[in-house]
Amino acid sequence: MTPKHLTQTHMTHNQLSRHPLDLRRVVGKRRLAGLWFMTRGYRLAYFGAIVALALATLAKTYTYLLLRYFADLLTHQQKPILGKTMPQAFAWVAAGFIALALGQGLFSFLSGRLAAYTAEGIARRLRDYLFDHIQRLSVAYHTHVSTGDLVERVTSDVDAVRRFFANEAIGIGRLLIIFGINFLAIYHLYPRLAWVSVLVTPFIFAVSLVFFRKVSRVYEEYQKQESRLTTTLQENLSGVRVVKAFARQDYEKQKFERENWRKYTLGKRLTFMHSLFWPASDLLIGAQILGGLIYAALLAIHGQITVGTFVAYTGLQGWLIMPIRGLGRMIVQGSIGMVSYGRLVDILKEAPEPLDDGDFIPDEPPRGEIVYDHVGFTYEDDTVPALEDITFRCQPGQVVALLGSTGSGKTTLVNLLPRFHDYTEGRILLDGVELKRYPRAWLRRQIGIVEQEPFLFSRTIWENIAYGAGREVTREEIIAAAKAAAIHDDIMAFPDGYDTVVGERGVTLSGGQKQRVAIARALLKAPRILILDEATASVDTETEAAIRAALARLMEGRTTFIIAHRIQSVMHADLILVMDKGRIVQQGTHAELMAQEGMYRQIFEIQTKIDEELREEIEGAA
Amino acid sequence: MTETTFEEEEYTSQITMPVVRRILGLLRPYWLRALGFLVAIGLTAWMDSYFTYLNKGIIDQGIMRHDVHALYRLALLYGIVQVGQAAAVFTFIYLADTLAERINYDLRRLTFNHLQELSLSYYVRQSVGRLIARVTSDSQKVADLITWGFVDTIWGIFNIGTATYYMLIINWKLALIVLAMVPVLVYIATEFRKRILAEYRRARRMNAQITGAYNETIMGVNVIKALNREEQNLDEFQVLTREMYEASYRAAWLSALFLPAVQFVSALVLAAIVWYGGLQTLHGTLTVGGIQAFVAYVTMILWPVRDLARVFSELQRAIAAGERIFSLLYTEPEVKDRPDAVPAETLLGKIEFDHVSFWYEPRKPVIRDFSLTVEPGETIAIVGPTGGGKTTLVNLLCRFYEPREGVIRINGRDYREYTLESLHRRLGIVLQTPHLFSGTIRENIRYGRLDASDEEVEEAARIAGAHDFIMRLERGYDTEVGEGGILLSTGQKQLISLARAVLAQPEIFVMDEATSSVDALTEALIQRGMEALLKGRTSFIIAHRLSTIRRADRIIVLKAGQIVEMGTHAELLRLRGHYYRLYTQQFKAERARAYSGLEALA
Repeated sequence: MTPKHLTQTHMTHNQLSRHPLDLRRVVGKRRLAGLWFMTRGYRLAYFGAIVALALATLAKTYTYLLLRYFADLLTHQQKPILGKTMPQAFAWVAAGFIALALGQGLFSFLSGRLAAYTAEGIARRLRDYLFDHIQRLSVAYHTHVSTGDLVERVTSDVDAVRRFFANEAIGIGRLLIIFGINFLAIYHLYPRLAWVSVLVTPFIFAVSLVFFRKVSRVYEEYQKQESRLTTTLQENLSGVRVVKAFARQDYEKQKFERENWRKYTLGKRLTFMHSLFWPASDLLIGAQILGGLIYAALLAIHGQITVGTFVAYTGLQGWLIMPIRGLGRMIVQGSIGMVSYGRLVDILKEAPEPLDDGDFIPDEPPRGEIVYDHVGFTYEDDTVPALEDITFRCQPGQVVALLGSTGSGKTTLVNLLPRFHDYTEGRILLDGVELKRYPRAWLRRQIGIVEQEPFLFSRTIWENIAYGAGREVTREEIIAAAKAAAIHDDIMAFPDGYDTVVGERGVTLSGGQKQRVAIARALLKAPRILILDEATASVDTETEAAIRAALARLMEGRTTFIIAHRIQSVMHADLILVMDKGRIVQQGTHAELMAQEGMYRQIFEIQTKIDEELREEIEGAA
Repeated sequence: MTETTFEEEEYTSQITMPVVRRILGLLRPYWLRALGFLVAIGLTAWMDSYFTYLNKGIIDQGIMRHDVHALYRLALLYGIVQVGQAAAVFTFIYLADTLAERINYDLRRLTFNHLQELSLSYYVRQSVGRLIARVTSDSQKVADLITWGFVDTIWGIFNIGTATYYMLIINWKLALIVLAMVPVLVYIATEFRKRILAEYRRARRMNAQITGAYNETIMGVNVIKALNREEQNLDEFQVLTREMYEASYRAAWLSALFLPAVQFVSALVLAAIVWYGGLQTLHGTLTVGGIQAFVAYVTMILWPVRDLARVFSELQRAIAAGERIFSLLYTEPEVKDRPDAVPAETLLGKIEFDHVSFWYEPRKPVIRDFSLTVEPGETIAIVGPTGGGKTTLVNLLCRFYEPREGVIRINGRDYREYTLESLHRRLGIVLQTPHLFSGTIRENIRYGRLDASDEEVEEAARIAGAHDFIMRLERGYDTEVGEGGILLSTGQKQLISLARAVLAQPEIFVMDEATSSVDALTEALIQRGMEALLKGRTSFIIAHRLSTIRRADRIIVLKAGQIVEMGTHAELLRLRGHYYRLYTQQFKAERARAYSGLEALA
């Protein structure tokens, strides 16, 4: 065994190669700064989109200036520049309009394409990053988070952030450009007219800002209510048997009605805010338009500007006001994106498990000698320790059984081995080396886990067995593993055999079948250390024998931890740990423990008493 | 495993009238409000056109004639119309939005309440994810359609209509040129829509797959961690996000191309106006104000025409959503009260299965010609191999399903003559996989009897053997169990669901036994609790534990939907048949484990 020493820089590099941009760096940044950070790598494209937009806007604005020339031609305040006669001049103007439209179209397409490239690219990067981040978050995090809520966030909130970049981030730049260029155009026509045309701007801006703040708060509440409603719905639908069994339909209806009504009232509040904001801002804008119109008309009447200038102004004025009106809406919509962004940062804030953190990587699998030395563990959000003063030692290939009541800390104890949690006191040694020095990824490759209710993925059985083997496996290997796990015959009985898809879209496997697939999975992985969590608990008699045989094959030569409720499953373990309230209250072999007063003998006596009665009964009956 | 991939079914492109009529029917209670917003939106659209017309007046009557009074008169009118428009805008936003929220609320309530009435057979066919989509997103789509969908449509129609009216007044020949552009625009819009929509669909499909991948990863995260699958998972996920990216990117740039295409058509029309209109001005049949009005109208009608294709496709989607909702609402529950059903007085009477047969699929009977008479207070243990029909038998007894053939009688009466509510109220059921609701432990136990006092809740927990572990929790009975009880262990959930059934004080107790994942000490507690519970009640237990089987008054061995053996424990043992084999196998397994422990594995 030659341990390789890895430097911190190597690991950082590894992290970087997976994700070109470490999005966790947005944590702690202000919202806008964080969103700006996310644009990294796309800033040039974004800039290009803005420039193209400016050119498109310029073409649009020139359309109005051309219109001005045309109107002045009509009123004989302008001589034809191109073409000798009026009809010829008109033809040139018409051609000018078409040319400008072509220019405008080209640039606006370019801008739209670059903007889409930016927004979709950022969203894709965000999706990939979040997915990886979530699967690397700690077990502790996942036990406390609701699946529905998390899925909701990474789908609809990511989409809201995508929309933020696709519409608002580009849109706000676009509106500012339109405003700027048209302001300059009007300024060019008649400077004072330009100033008069933007008098109301600050008010509109102030109104929209106040509105933006309020609406974002209500909207957040509205979203929360929506997810509460969905949770209620989901629980009701998946618990339909319970609802029916207790005839609780009316109760459920009332429960749903409460959440439904609350969403309705919150929605109405949002509605009311919107229905006040729009006409109010409309009135302000209307006053601005009318004021500008009267002023320009007076200028025209008094001959200070031409009719053509007035005509151009009425067009340009719309393009000057539109951005201000749009800015309010953009900010309102942006607020949704910001709220969503905040919800995503909440996820990013959680620290992922550094899988490659650790400086000791043996070339060979461990022998499997494990020592717990005064180990203690307290969950982060808890004050009471879940494990206290755990001390025991086991030799390679030995079987350690954990016995104890529900919640006595058995699962927590074994979860320390693959470093799902890191112990907070004492130390654990694997082959004489402190566990924390082994990288999690390496450690987990050496440990196989068969759970009480194994989770299978909605893929084919092939894929489910090969899942996590960590290497290319042949079909023959998979079949061999399935045979050893006593599941092969069951699989062959399905119409699609190994190609059967597991889960809701395919065949539903029984608890025992799932367990044997999980055993096959573990066999293929061939770990040095094995954790069996009540692996035969939920199975009926006929399959139990098959599972026991499969398990025995699996345990051969491996250091095994068995979590058990029944004394029968632990009696011949090399070491039995009797647990209560996070402590080991007794340890030893069956014989040793039977020789002591204590919990072990107590449990044993209850169980043998039941069995004794049964034996008597069968003898009496037969 | 719950499915939260809200996959969208492909919809028919036809708009079927009955569905449209039903959707419109949702508006009936609010017809006044609906009418109000239609009028308001129409007025708003008309005023938009009118502003341009007023502008023309300002140029022709004010500026060209240097008439300041005319200017002021028109400006005053302009101001008044603006105030009027603000009022109209307020009205339509307020009405459309509240109506959308209201109809959304109505649809959620209707679908949810109807789902409560539907039979178990319906739930077996549908995935939870689909049903959630019916209640939430489909409702939303329909509600949006009959409010904002209409807003867009009516706005568009009125905009084009009023603009056309004013253009015809100003110069009908030019107006015809402008109108000639409409079909061209519609054609372009439809063509683009088709392509963009195809990409959107692809993106939506990918989105559903991405959601599914997230869902599965989060639910199976422990397995993923244990098996070091992170890297490979990410690779697989990136295949999905790449395709999603490609689809949405294409959809986005196609949309970006669409706008210039439309604008180019309008530029052609603009050129025609300039050239032809210019000539007309020379002849004095068109004013400068007229030309400027035409330029403004061309830009104005561009938007609704452009949007028409979008609105139409949204319409199709919403109608498809409506179709799905109505198909749910019009599904009759398979098991429901007969019109002449009476409440059952008591279930503590004789229960008879009289030649009962049942099948989920034709020609595949799960229960065949099953007959059994159970005396009140009897405990029946049902044993047999997986797939023998144990669960189906219990489902029939609970009337989650009704017999396809034969009759089940309680107190001598066909149980279909009783109301479902009165049956279920007297039934206590403990399922093999316990289901809890978010809320506290106390709330979950109280689910068994809503008017139970705190003392009664605790008493029930004591009987079920749950009290001790609950008291060990920091917040005791006020501990939150989390969504679906995620914060508790399987054993704890079982104890709570047992307490829940105890509290219901049922007359018939049905249990799908799963006590084996509870530790020995707690199991002894449960056994004692069950003993108390079974007293004076008719009980049906799908039994796995010998102790439970032994306690039963009668044991049924169910195989391939039929009783192969029946009798007391001693009688059946003497038969030396199926039961004897089952029992001795189980017995030997337990003994072997007790004496030789783990070596028996080999």
